[in-house]
Amino acid sequence: MAMLSGKTAFVTGGAGGIGAAICARFAKEGAEVIAADVAEPAALPEGVTWRRYDVTSEAAVRQTFDELGGLWDKLDILVNAAGIEIEKTIEDTTLEEWNRVFAINVTGMFLTAKHALPLLRKSPGASVINFGSYDGFIADPGLTAYCASKGAVHALTRAMACDHGPEGIRVNAICPGYVDTPMLQSFFRDSGDIESLQQAVRDVHPLRSYGTPDDIANLVNWLASDEARYASGQLWVIDGGLSAQVQQMRL
Amino acid sequence: MTRLAGKSALVTGGRQGIGRAIVEAFLAEGAAVMTCGRGDRPDGLDGAVHWMTADVSDGRDMDALKQSAGEAFGALDILVNNAGVQIEKTVADSSDADWDAVMGVNAKGVFLTCRAFIPVMASGGSIINIGSISGMAADPGMALYNASKAFVHGLTRSIAVDHGPGVRCNAICPGWIMTGMADAAFAQSRDPAAAKEDALKRHPAGRFGTPEDVARLALWLASEDSAFATGQCYTLDGGLTAASPIRACSDG
Repeated sequence: MAMLSGKTAFVTGGAGGIGAAICARFAKEGAEVIAADVAEPAALPEGVTWRRYDVTSEAAVRQTFDELGGLWDKLDILVNAAGIEIEKTIEDTTLEEWNRVFAINVTGMFLTAKHALPLLRKSPGASVINFGSYDGFIADPGLTAYCASKGAVHALTRAMACDHGPEGIRVNAICPGYVDTPMLQSFFRDSGDIESLQQAVRDVHPLRSYGTPDDIANLVNWLASDEARYASGQLWVIDGGLSAQVQQMRL
Repeated sequence: MTRLAGKSALVTGGRQGIGRAIVEAFLAEGAAVMTCGRGDRPDGLDGAVHWMTADVSDGRDMDALKQSAGEAFGALDILVNNAGVQIEKTVADSSDADWDAVMGVNAKGVFLTCRAFIPVMASGGSIINIGSISGMAADPGMALYNASKAFVHGLTRSIAVDHGPGVRCNAICPGWIMTGMADAAFAQSRDPAAAKEDALKRHPAGRFGTPEDVARLALWLASEDSAFATGQCYTLDGGLTAASPIRACSDG
């Protein structure tokens, strides 16, 4: 059963941990997929093509969607998954670092969605899925610029849903909690004893595990599909129950 | 499509509206389904669906329901707490009987079914509660209904925290879904037709929801695809609560 057959999908950050899982799932569900990323992935799933794409350059973004307009007659699914984090407090964050986090996590989303709009409007039912985060609601220590950028993504998502819903474009954000990606491993590495920290993080989840990129791709797939045709303007937290719980001092 | 093949599901309040749509969606995906309501078996309900006349606010009825579901299914994989009622009154106008009617079904009913079925749910089981956007922001003149849905959201989180990882528990918070309950709410306004038109303009999706919209999210939450989702209250409202009430989103 293919949930996305006949659809086209453009995934920024498509070479990364979660982005790659999304591209693979989309292709499996019958979509034609472009994984857009600054880095070329080591391997590509069948049905996925890679395109070099820098979300921080408006010229590159504009050129990409000009070219895409010649390739595809519509864009059904846009996933804004490109993102970085810097593990610092405001005191240690330089202005350059702050601006870089916002350039990729927020401005890149704005530019991509802005220039994708003409193609999205040609879809009979377009779905835009932005990557917010659990950290847009609740702060992880030493992750200031990232937390702030994800809060901006959440507000941007609601604003886009309000403005472009009447044009048949749905806009939602996915807010993952802890997911096993290179980004999470880096966060662990910077925090000392990796194994005991990993176990402590697992134990604090009601589901006693952190997520996998496939867990997140499962929700992205649903939001991308016509099954979610009434879902718009929402922030979809998927975190193994972590944010349902008042945090206990167990670490 | 058989995304729920081999699974058993109990849906409370399956006579009509959202509950009925969920029953039909689960059945179409291969689940064995039981549903219940206060009246007789409704006309047109698929013969494969088990029906039981039961009141979710009655503890003895829920014991009997547990017995029947156990005999039919053994362990239960999916529990959908959908049964709900609304009374359109402020606190000052609500009687003790109104409290018992609304809180009995919407709050105590969810508690009773969860207490009965959590111990007999299969590992990896999924509980889906029907909350409401009215549990997060108040609809005028619906005091007890609003409060009962906030209870559902709170209980959803508690069950997820206390009974994970064996059981997952999430809520769906529908917005304006076109059912008899929505018509009753619009009937409260001075000009129901104008109120409906105004409400429609505040939906970025450009339409009200259908019971099938809610059933499709319930299906995702019942399936393995939502294995990492628990403790959440997922709003499905066509964008209504994402937008400010100051200005209508749509010109249409």
